[in-house]
Amino acid sequence: MNIIKKYIPLTIVFIFGIITLASYYVPHRASDEYLEWINKWENIVSAFALFLGMISLFYSHYKKIQRKVDGWGYSLFVYIGFFIIMGAAILSEGDISKEGKLTYLGWSFNNIYNPLSATMFSVLAFFIISTAYRSFKIKSFAAFLLFICGLILMIGNIPLGEIIWDKVFGWTKLTIGEIKDWIISVPSTAGRRGIMIGIAIGAAVTSLKIIFGIERGYMGKE
Amino acid sequence: MKEKLNKILKLDRRYLFVLLTLSIVIPIIKPIGIPSKSISTSTKDTYNFIENLPEGSTIILSLDYDPSTAPELHPMAAAVLKHAFKKNIKVIILTFIAGSGGLIDELVRTIPPQYSKEYGKDYVVLPYMANPLAALTQMASDIHSFYDKDINNKPLKNYEMMKNIKNYKDVAGVIGITGTALLDYWVVYVGDKYGVPILGGVTAISQVGYGPYLQKKQLKGLIGGMKGAAEYENLISQPWKGTSGIDALNIAHILVIVFIIFSNIVLLILKFL
Amino acid sequence: MNRKFLLASVIILSLGIDAFSNKSKDSIKQNIEKIELKNLSVVDYPSDKGNSIILYFDKDEKQKNFQYEIYLSTDSTNWIKAKQAKYDELSASNIELPFWMWNKKRNINALAIDVTKVFSLQEDDYFKQNPKGFSVYAKVIAIGDNKKYESQIVKGIAKANWFRVDRLNNLVLVIIISIVFFMIVSHAKKRELFIRKIAGLEAIDEAVGRATEMGKPVVYVPGTGSMSGISTIASIFILGEVGKKIAQYDATLKVPHYDPIVFTVAKETVKQSYMEAGRPDSYREDINVYITTDQFAYAAAVDGIITREKPAACFYMGYFMAESLLLAEVGAGVGAIQIAGTDVDTQLPFFFTACDYTLIGEELYAAGAYLSKEPMLVSALKVQDFGKFLFITFAIGFSIFLLIFSKIETSYAEKLLDIFRVR
Repeated sequence: MNIIKKYIPLTIVFIFGIITLASYYVPHRASDEYLEWINKWENIVSAFALFLGMISLFYSHYKKIQRKVDGWGYSLFVYIGFFIIMGAAILSEGDISKEGKLTYLGWSFNNIYNPLSATMFSVLAFFIISTAYRSFKIKSFAAFLLFICGLILMIGNIPLGEIIWDKVFGWTKLTIGEIKDWIISVPSTAGRRGIMIGIAIGAAVTSLKIIFGIERGYMGKE
Repeated sequence: MKEKLNKILKLDRRYLFVLLTLSIVIPIIKPIGIPSKSISTSTKDTYNFIENLPEGSTIILSLDYDPSTAPELHPMAAAVLKHAFKKNIKVIILTFIAGSGGLIDELVRTIPPQYSKEYGKDYVVLPYMANPLAALTQMASDIHSFYDKDINNKPLKNYEMMKNIKNYKDVAGVIGITGTALLDYWVVYVGDKYGVPILGGVTAISQVGYGPYLQKKQLKGLIGGMKGAAEYENLISQPWKGTSGIDALNIAHILVIVFIIFSNIVLLILKFL
Repeated sequence: MNRKFLLASVIILSLGIDAFSNKSKDSIKQNIEKIELKNLSVVDYPSDKGNSIILYFDKDEKQKNFQYEIYLSTDSTNWIKAKQAKYDELSASNIELPFWMWNKKRNINALAIDVTKVFSLQEDDYFKQNPKGFSVYAKVIAIGDNKKYESQIVKGIAKANWFRVDRLNNLVLVIIISIVFFMIVSHAKKRELFIRKIAGLEAIDEAVGRATEMGKPVVYVPGTGSMSGISTIASIFILGEVGKKIAQYDATLKVPHYDPIVFTVAKETVKQSYMEAGRPDSYREDINVYITTDQFAYAAAVDGIITREKPAACFYMGYFMAESLLLAEVGAGVGAIQIAGTDVDTQLPFFFTACDYTLIGEELYAAGAYLSKEPMLVSALKVQDFGKFLFITFAIGFSIFLLIFSKIETSYAEKLLDIFRVR
């Protein structure tokens, strides 16, 4: 059992890890074909995993409906929503529009999915304002510096900000756009590069740990 | 006094939400028309890139955003497509995001007829592909081996504009408009590797992160957020949703700044009381 | 009548043009002299798929104002014009290869040509029909001094190569890092290695303890990445450790999932954690729940879980995009203690403002070593430190070197830049 649960997965990871790493140094077409083949397998495995995930989703919501726990009506919506959209997709044969006219799926996409998705993203704007009001307290010099840079970037992003800047600080002969570009391209980029390099080195070492079987989190625990 | 100030500091966030709603809704209903003074360099670079392309060139337009980021990215996608058609540049539209189908459909239903552009001759739409890495790598050797059919399930090779397009060497550039990290993929796996000019359109929040790429010219141009979209619409003289949203953007930004300053002034006063 | 006249004129005109062009061709053919271009050669373009060649020949000062037309053929009879360029446009520096493969200082005219484009070949068919290489003939027509000169015909083969010598710099770096990795890991158990305190990871005990006291659940969000993402792998490891603590304290755990594969792996991880903690009876199948693979639908569902369940602690570990603030702000709203960790730098500011503790980038990768204190994992952290030390040394040292040598001797500066170029 140990061979199947432990050694076979480790061997597979090691072999494919080394081959995929080596393919970066092999220009021959065989390398491209190998990568294509691996990607196809990844798509197939993802599709099966999605199927398993959906079974789990429906099962857990079925249990909630059966036991009539608090909020079981929301679980009913999972089924209703799924079957309505599936039905629309089947009737429309997967097309969003046919001969310039919206199909059932296209209508659902434009009038249900689009507004819901845009709404969730819009909620971010409200949360940003409440987080900014609640948490952005200038308690140190670093926080003050952060505030000034943030202020310049925000003002630089709006035409009204440019007008305000020119009226108040026009005598400096510097436009808010120039200062904003400097902040983005010099201190922000420098800091970002440092973080990116650290992450890249971390990713490289973690990949080595995974290939050589030291890091085994992906297998679940032993 | 101290209690009152503490109460203000712990203000129910619903009041803030109401104020924000009003600051966004009122300018949309009754536009103020705040003029835009300048156009950012990165947006201008994107505009100039398309403007300087010879007629008949082909570009790839990768539209990888879903309805959540559509308010910022859809106007810039429309502006870029209109500009390309105006310059008689052929466009290959593709996507790696499943939720973008309806948005792409809206673009190709409404924009090509305005410029008398024909499907297959002036533009093609490729089907959604789940694996961007495979697509980007394969298109370097042969687009047709990865995309053998278009979105209408017809052989890609049969379309007039695709007969001379084999791989990236036949394409003048790639414009990736995305709310995800897909632009990084285009830069690393296509721009750096094959020398193809890459330009981008991203949400305002992601724009700052592309500073290093713009500096090193790995990205030849970048349209950032709704402001970038409004700037591009201004450059092509075709105001649309980007321009109409800018007033609301102005007021909302000022409101957030005012709230932050106000809360810190209250904190300062409390500190000295 | 007018139409017939017009037709006759067109025919006569076209015959005349044809006669004239033939005469021109004959006169051009008569004007083409033979020339021997010194060292004219066609070689395989190294480290490529096998669809390119390099054509080169020595520069001749007398041909400074010349223009060159390069012709290729598969059988030395049917020629196709591949490229046209002036004397100044052709040089050894045109070839984008590093100094260890190509000397850019050579005084030659050089050009890289993609043969599949010249002969309009489909790449798939090209590689299938020419597994051992593609033979090509080349000649150069030099145009100058009102004359045309045809060079000798040379032959070369475009072959597929098996190793990218241009990426040797990259391979050397990988080997160095790997050697250091094995050296440090093999000495893992010999001595205890120091790791600085990471506040976010120290606070896990506090967060789980708080949840137990208040009798409220702990919500663990593993992010919206796939299992191939390193941050997701790190997140699953942390989930295992958090699961163990929760099992020990007998608190409640909820893990909503975005990716079905991550869901499957997390199920096994949490189950095993409960067994290791000696509480297999406390484990329930509904601890892990797959929600959806749509970003904002997932965020909406998790927000709903947080709002209804009112957890005492929320963990956000993994890959996040725009949903980060949606989740963190709702968690802050219910008064939960929040610990976040992500390697996506654009989301870090949101987590910083809304959460109590935040792990930045590699602190998330280090979590496995930090929590388990396993010698092998801790020593692997030291390899990261070595990598950073190497980078800092190179960055400072070679910046100074470049500053000095770009003024004195630019070739050294160029060679140094070549070493660090990514191909």
